[in-house]
Amino acid sequence: MNKSLIIVIKQTYRSHFKTRGFWLLVLSPLIFAVILGAIGFGISQMQGNTTPKVAIIGNSQVRQIFKRDEKSLEIDVSKITDSKQANKSLASQDLDGILTIDNDNATLTTQPKSNSINKEAIVSVLGNLSRSQKAADYGLTAEQTQNLIKPFNLKSVVKQSNNESTNGDSSDMANYGIAVAIGIVTTMIVMWYASMIATEIANEKSSRIMETLLAATSASIQYFGKMIGIFALAVTHMAIYVVAGVIGYIVLQNNKLFSNVIQMFSGITLGFTLYAISFILVAVALYLILTAMIASLVNDNAQVQQAVQPITFLAMIGYMFSFIMTNMPNNLAIKVLSYVPFISQSMMPVRLVTKVETWPAAIISLLIAVVAMISLAWMGQSIYAKNVLSYSDDKIMSQLIKNIKNKN
Amino acid sequence: MIQLTNINKTFGNNIAVNSMNMTLEPGKVMGLIGQNGAGKTTTFRMILNFITPTSGKITWDNHPITQSDKQKIGFLPEERGLYQKLTIEEQILYFAELHGMSRSDAKTALTDWLKRLDVVGKATDKVQSLSKGNAQKIQMIASLIFNPEFIILDEPFSGLDPVNTSIMMNEIIRMRDNGAMIIFSSHDMNNVTKISDNLTMLKQGKIVLQGGVQEIREKFGRTKIYVEGPFSTSELSNIAGITNIKQQGAGFDITIANESVGHHIFDYVTRNGYIPAFSQQPPTLDDIFRQEVAYHE
Ligand SMILES: Nc1ncnc2c1ncn2[C@@H]1O[C@H](COP(=O)(O)OP(=O)(O)OP(=O)(O)O)[C@@H](O)[C@H]1O
Ligand SMILES: [Mg+2]
Repeated sequence: MNKSLIIVIKQTYRSHFKTRGFWLLVLSPLIFAVILGAIGFGISQMQGNTTPKVAIIGNSQVRQIFKRDEKSLEIDVSKITDSKQANKSLASQDLDGILTIDNDNATLTTQPKSNSINKEAIVSVLGNLSRSQKAADYGLTAEQTQNLIKPFNLKSVVKQSNNESTNGDSSDMANYGIAVAIGIVTTMIVMWYASMIATEIANEKSSRIMETLLAATSASIQYFGKMIGIFALAVTHMAIYVVAGVIGYIVLQNNKLFSNVIQMFSGITLGFTLYAISFILVAVALYLILTAMIASLVNDNAQVQQAVQPITFLAMIGYMFSFIMTNMPNNLAIKVLSYVPFISQSMMPVRLVTKVETWPAAIISLLIAVVAMISLAWMGQSIYAKNVLSYSDDKIMSQLIKNIKNKN
Repeated sequence: MIQLTNINKTFGNNIAVNSMNMTLEPGKVMGLIGQNGAGKTTTFRMILNFITPTSGKITWDNHPITQSDKQKIGFLPEERGLYQKLTIEEQILYFAELHGMSRSDAKTALTDWLKRLDVVGKATDKVQSLSKGNAQKIQMIASLIFNPEFIILDEPFSGLDPVNTSIMMNEIIRMRDNGAMIIFSSHDMNNVTKISDNLTMLKQGKIVLQGGVQEIREKFGRTKIYVEGPFSTSELSNIAGITNIKQQGAGFDITIANESVGHHIFDYVTRNGYIPAFSQQPPTLDDIFRQEVAYHE
C-alpha cells in the first residue's frame, strides 16, 4: 500500500481514537448494558431470598413429596408439622403460608406480608397426587395411572411462507427485540460515523488545511485515507463490543435471568452474528463514502448539518422500516427494500434471523451492498478531488447534481 | 530547476495568467509581486497542480511535476489553516510525515525550529491556544521542517510584526543558502528587495518586469536624489529636469528626468561648499512598481 495513504489512515484513526467523544459513544451503551445487567442480577438475587416458607400439615406423605419437589414448586418447606405452632409462626411472620391437607381438599393460609406462592404449581401437584390415589383405588396399574395423569401436550409451530416450519417458541417477543437491537445499533453507528467524517472534511475545508494537505498528497489519498481511518475506528468500536459481549457471557453464564434472555435469542448463531456484523460494516462504509462525497461540497462548519441531514434521513428510513417489517414481513415493498443498499442493513439481517429469508437471499443482499460500495467509492473520489479546493456558494444539493451531471 | 513555459490560465472570460515564463534556480529566491488579483496565487496553484493551466508547461528538471516531487515541495498557502484541536507537535509531525520525514527526526527538528522562530508555547500546546502570529510561525514550520527542495510561500509576511518578519526572512535566507529553490509573493517591496535575488512583477496576469533585483533597479537609472541643506522646495524646483520634489524631514526627495540632471543639482546645492547629505540612487522597487502600474494603465 501507498506510504502516504497509511500515514493519512493512521493520523485519522489516532486523532479520533483519542477523543472523548469516541469513548463516550463506545462506553455509553456498555455502561447502559452493565446497569441493566446489574438491575436484573439484583432482582434475581432478591427473588432467591424471597422463596416463600410454607408449613405443610395434615398428611406427612404429601409433605415428603413437597419436600422433594421444593425447587420446582418454588417453596421452602418448613420443619413445622404442628398446626398450633404453625399458626403462631404465621402470626409472627416467620412463615409465609400454611398448607393444610384434608382428604379431598386443601387450604392455603397466608398472611398479608407473605411472599407470593405459586398456587398453580401446588394445585397441579396436589391434583396429580389425588388422581393417582383415586386411580389406585379403582385398581388401575401404575402404567395406566401414569398415562392418565400425563399432561396434554400443546406444541406451538410457526408456518413460514417458504413452507419451512420453525420452532415458534422463542417467538415474537424475541424477534422484535432482535429487530429493535439491530436497527438501533446500525442506525446509531452509521449516523455517528457519517457525521464524524462530515465534520472532519468540512473542518479541513473551512480551515483551509486542505491546501497544505494536498501540497503533499493527492486528493484520492486524502479521500481513501480518511475513509479507511474512520472505518477502522468503527471496526474497533464493534470489536470492543464483541469482546465485552464475550466477557459478559462468561461472567453471567450461570445467572438464571441471563440464561432466560439468552434463550430468547436462540435464533442467533455464530454465522448470523458474523453476517450481521459484516452487513453493519459494509453499511458504515457505504454511508461514509456518501457522506465524504457530500461533505466535500461543504464550505464551512455551518453547512455540515445541511450536508448530513439527508444522510441521517436515509438511515432513519431503514430504521423505521425495520419496525414496520416485523408486522408484515411479506409485504412486497419491504421485500424489495431489503435488497436496496443504504436500507438493506437494517432489514436483511432481521429477516434472516426471523427466518423470513433464507441464506442465499441474505448473501445476495450483502453482495449488492458491497458492489454499490465499490462503485460509489470510485465516483466519490472524483467528486471529492474536484471539490475540496473549490468554494462555491451554491446549495449543496444543486452542487452535487451539477457534479454528477458534469461527470457524464 | 523549475520552469514555467508560456503558461496561460483563464477563468471564463477572465485571463488570470497570461503567457507567463519563469525559471527558478536552486539557491535563488524569486519574489513575485503584483497588485491584488494579479495572478500570484493562481500561479502557485498551477505549479502545485491544484488547477491545470489552460495552456503551457510546468517542469522540474525537465519533467512534469509528479506526486513524488510534491513531497519535496514546502508550501505556505495564502489562506492559513491548522487543525485547531491538535497539539503543535501532532500537527507538525503529521505534515512532516506526509512529506516523507520520519516522526523521530521531525520531533528533534521541531525543538530547534520552535527555539529559532521564538514561538511562545510548548510543543504540547493545542494550536487553538496560539496567537495569530504564533500560529503563523507553526504553519511556516510545517511547510519548511522537512527541508524542502522547492519552497512556495504565498505572502509569508502578512500579519507579522517587524521583529517576526525579520525572523522569517532569516529562515528564508537560511533555506536559500542550503540550496532550496524559493518563490514567494508579497505586497511589501521593502521585503522583496531585502531577500530576493530575482523578481517577477505581474500586472493583470501579465509579466511587466522580470530579472535580477539590482539589474532592474539599475535599468531605471539613478533618478532618485536625496539632499539635505539650507534650501526651500520652491528654490530647488527651479532647477530644470526635476519632475518631482518632496520635503522629507530635514531633507528633500527629488525625482529627476534622467541621471545627468544629478550634476546640475549637485553643482547648485554645493555652490557654497559643504552640505550634510547628497545621494543619487536608482528608484526603489516601490517606485518602480507604482511607475509600472501607472504606465500599463
Ligand atoms: N477559482 C477561480 N475562479 C474564477 N476566478 C478566479 C479563481 N481563482 C482566481 N480567479 C481570478 O484570477 C485572478 C487572479 O487571482 P489570484 O488569486 O491569483 O490573485 P493574487 O495575485 O493572488 O491576488 P492577491 O494579492 O489578492 O492574493 C483574479 O481576477 C481572480 O478573480
Ligand atoms: Mg493571492
